[in-house]
Amino acid sequence: MKQHPLCTDCEPELDVTNLPIPAGLKQEWSAVETRRQFLGRSGKVLGWAALASLFGDAALRGNAFAADTKSPATSPGRNNLGLPHFAPKSKRAIYLFMSGGPPQIDLLDYKPNLASQYDKDIPDSVRGNQQLTGMTAGQSRFPIAPSHWPFKQYGQTGTWVSDLLPYTAKMVDDLTIIKSTNTDAINHEPAIMFMNTGNMNPGKPCLGSWLAYGLGSMNDNLPTFIVLQTKTNPKENNQPVSSRLWSSGFLSSEYAGVGLRSGGDPVLYLADPDGIDREVRRKMLDAVEEINRQTLAEVGDPETNARIAQYEMAFRMQASVPELTDLSKEPQSTWDLYGPDAKQPGTFAYNCLLARRMAERGVRFTQIYKRGWDVHGDVVGVLPTICQETDRACYALVTDLKRRGLLDDTLVVWAGEFGRTVYSQGGLSKENYGRDHHPRCFTTWMVGGGVKPGLTYGETDDYSYNVVKDPVHARNFNATILACLGIDHNRLTYDFQGLDQRLTGPQPAYVIKGLLA
Amino acid sequence: MISAEQATGAERTRKNRSAWVWVTAAVVLLVVLPFVFRLDGKAHGDWLQLLGRFHPTLLHLPIGLIVLVPVLEIAGMKRPALREAADFVLRAALALALPTFALGFMLAYGAGDSGTTVTRHMWGAVALCIGLMLCILARPAWVAREQGFVYPALLSTSLLALLWTGHQGGSITHGGDYLTHYMPQSVRVLFPSSGVNGATAGSFYALHIRPVLDAKCVACHGSGSAKAELRLDSYDDLMHGGKDGAVIVPGKPEASILLARVTLQPGDPHFMPAEGRTPLTSGEISWIRAWIRAGATETATSVPGVNIGGERAEPPPQPVGDYSALVPEIQKMQSGLGAKLVPLSAKASDGLILRTVDVASSFGDAQLAGFERFAPYIVEAELGRTAVTDGCFETLRKFTHLRALHLEGTGITGSNLGKLSSLRQLTYLNLSGTKVTPQSVASVREMSNLRHLYLFNTAAEADETAARSSK
Repeated sequence: MKQHPLCTDCEPELDVTNLPIPAGLKQEWSAVETRRQFLGRSGKVLGWAALASLFGDAALRGNAFAADTKSPATSPGRNNLGLPHFAPKSKRAIYLFMSGGPPQIDLLDYKPNLASQYDKDIPDSVRGNQQLTGMTAGQSRFPIAPSHWPFKQYGQTGTWVSDLLPYTAKMVDDLTIIKSTNTDAINHEPAIMFMNTGNMNPGKPCLGSWLAYGLGSMNDNLPTFIVLQTKTNPKENNQPVSSRLWSSGFLSSEYAGVGLRSGGDPVLYLADPDGIDREVRRKMLDAVEEINRQTLAEVGDPETNARIAQYEMAFRMQASVPELTDLSKEPQSTWDLYGPDAKQPGTFAYNCLLARRMAERGVRFTQIYKRGWDVHGDVVGVLPTICQETDRACYALVTDLKRRGLLDDTLVVWAGEFGRTVYSQGGLSKENYGRDHHPRCFTTWMVGGGVKPGLTYGETDDYSYNVVKDPVHARNFNATILACLGIDHNRLTYDFQGLDQRLTGPQPAYVIKGLLA
Repeated sequence: MISAEQATGAERTRKNRSAWVWVTAAVVLLVVLPFVFRLDGKAHGDWLQLLGRFHPTLLHLPIGLIVLVPVLEIAGMKRPALREAADFVLRAALALALPTFALGFMLAYGAGDSGTTVTRHMWGAVALCIGLMLCILARPAWVAREQGFVYPALLSTSLLALLWTGHQGGSITHGGDYLTHYMPQSVRVLFPSSGVNGATAGSFYALHIRPVLDAKCVACHGSGSAKAELRLDSYDDLMHGGKDGAVIVPGKPEASILLARVTLQPGDPHFMPAEGRTPLTSGEISWIRAWIRAGATETATSVPGVNIGGERAEPPPQPVGDYSALVPEIQKMQSGLGAKLVPLSAKASDGLILRTVDVASSFGDAQLAGFERFAPYIVEAELGRTAVTDGCFETLRKFTHLRALHLEGTGITGSNLGKLSSLRQLTYLNLSGTKVTPQSVASVREMSNLRHLYLFNTAAEADETAARSSK
């Protein structure tokens, strides 16, 4: 006896096939029959793909058994990549994205000799024929602005850290600090796109999407790739970040980052409205799914598959997200570590705490965006605020992962899209200065599974202007992140526009072996 | 046919007499020179070094010629023409050996090198030069068969002097243990100078400090060459310091010159190791810093802040067997329970991960027991926040290839954690947030390959913190 999912009464249903109606209509009706019949009818290829998608990702993806299952490797939107390519050191990653371009000279790239060169012009030989941004290209002078803050040595490694980062200073022996990161772009949008997707133009999948595509989910109840935005502070110069940065590009949109909101409900309309219980919701979704499958059968657009998967994910998130964001059971030691900010949803500290909870629950990739680093002017006024918002939380996240035994197989990355200039943008005084964008060198750090702790990699010249030793180009930076997760960046590809597309782009990229543990 | 070599004894004596005068003068000069310009460890004049640095370039020429002499002499028994050439080669060797010596002396004197190896190298070269001169003097008589053994004896002595001098020179540039470093231990014991003496064996100094100094510093600050009068090749010398005083201040890393010099910016003129030699790694620096902070003793076996256990390399993973025949069964198991067996990587022999996160709350000992059949292929068991109890260890002890075990947030008390002790591959054990006690984790602490033990938020952790702070 057939029963439609939306139909709750038990009356026997009319058999459409016996009604005196045109055969074409009958055929159409049969396409919206129950799932069982649907699968029975179109069961050859698409049916198995659909079933497998309900069973979760591991059945299809990153799974050496996939060849033995009946799930076809050719099913749209799916793949049988057989990843990771080699035993990974990290299963998951947390990317702390410092949007705007943190000034390396004021944070981690200590240049003691600059103090004596206050207000002198930066030598032409250092600047070379570099094309500057429109913001400083018109300046008649490029006066050197030494950092306003003193540096001290910390840890057994004796790493120099600015007084702005007292908490980061406590963990320098665990960090892999890269002073020689460099990129191709000098303005925010292309640079942030380049760091995230390996290409300055929008439309390519970002790191998180590649990971979701390549490695799949570890947890069927939460998205594989989650993006957390930090509430902006109006005092800071906030550059926009947009969903283009966590887009899946030409990959199926189910690999795109799922953004949790920074205020109020982390996911809108997560709770069922009054009068709708979970069972009704389930039935509604089953019906929507059937309609979607019909579309899929007719049109064959793999995006329909993605939509089906996303509905299912949203349904499961209705249960898993409230559990994820319920911090009431966190012990006092958590609040002691992260500080009072962590109780305010949307702060960077709160997001770091959520990132740790996601790591525990099997989220493959979490990316936290913190805006406001774009200090063109008033460095002295603004930078301490941004550091206060982030420094302790970064330390808390790393320490928390470490004490809970998660840092062994989690990679934490701290990076912006570029660095900032040694010369002052606008007026330079003893009290204040500004810094323009600087792509030729900037400081980033990583910590966790796969990278060498207590290492400072790469060197910049006396002006923190050019890399003089061990450069790490953004492409190679991403290749190294992939390597920590067991992926050969040359082999994680997707055929699109006639090219085997990859995160690191068509130009050669290298894993920086010196960074790996 | 009368050649120079067959000249009469009278002629030779006359010729020789003037040669003897020259040789005597040269010998006196060679012997006196080092006493006039003493190698006192102070640098003199950059131009001396400028020239002196050509010493290593030039020295190979006389060596080659000297070694050629006995070859020519022996081969000359068959082909007399070669023996005629020997005389010229011998003189040419001397003509090159003397400037080589001069350059070497300029290098040592200019750079302020001192120490036994440098001194030995110098006197060896003096002896070699004198030996060559005497060979030139004695050779005509040997060719004329008047004196059968003087020349061969002198030549052999010179060759030995060459060998010895060359070895000393090599020790200066490459370090004293260059030749013995990769010898098997059984052979190396025959060379008494290499290795750490037995009195301090096993101490932090012997295991971590001395090898770093030997590898990175002793080439210039050792028995061979003690620049700035500083030697770092023994504990006493290290603590004694150099011409600028002590380089190590026990308990005060920030006041210790040795540490300051190795942590400068690499471009700094005072940065050590100098002259582009391999810098110390951050790990090595951290050991030295921690050791100084802890008092810089010769005997202490452990140093706070440095986890030697953590420095040990993890044992290489053991490949798991072929489980391809079990794949259908694994799939059936997965779809039934919801827990998954995920390959660690594309390489099947890397093994499987048991992943339970989707069904954690309903995954208990019985469900775990269901995976017993796949036990030898599972390298990582993610059982965090599951419903397993102390009974799980009965199953887990059969996971012979297990490298990582997550039990965080479970209800285990650890009463029979000892059952894990047969898991020789286990390097990671997470017991955070469980009810384990100091007593119950005592057994796993003794597991030799366990590198990462996590006890956050447990009674065992509280106990450990208390023990550490009371120390």
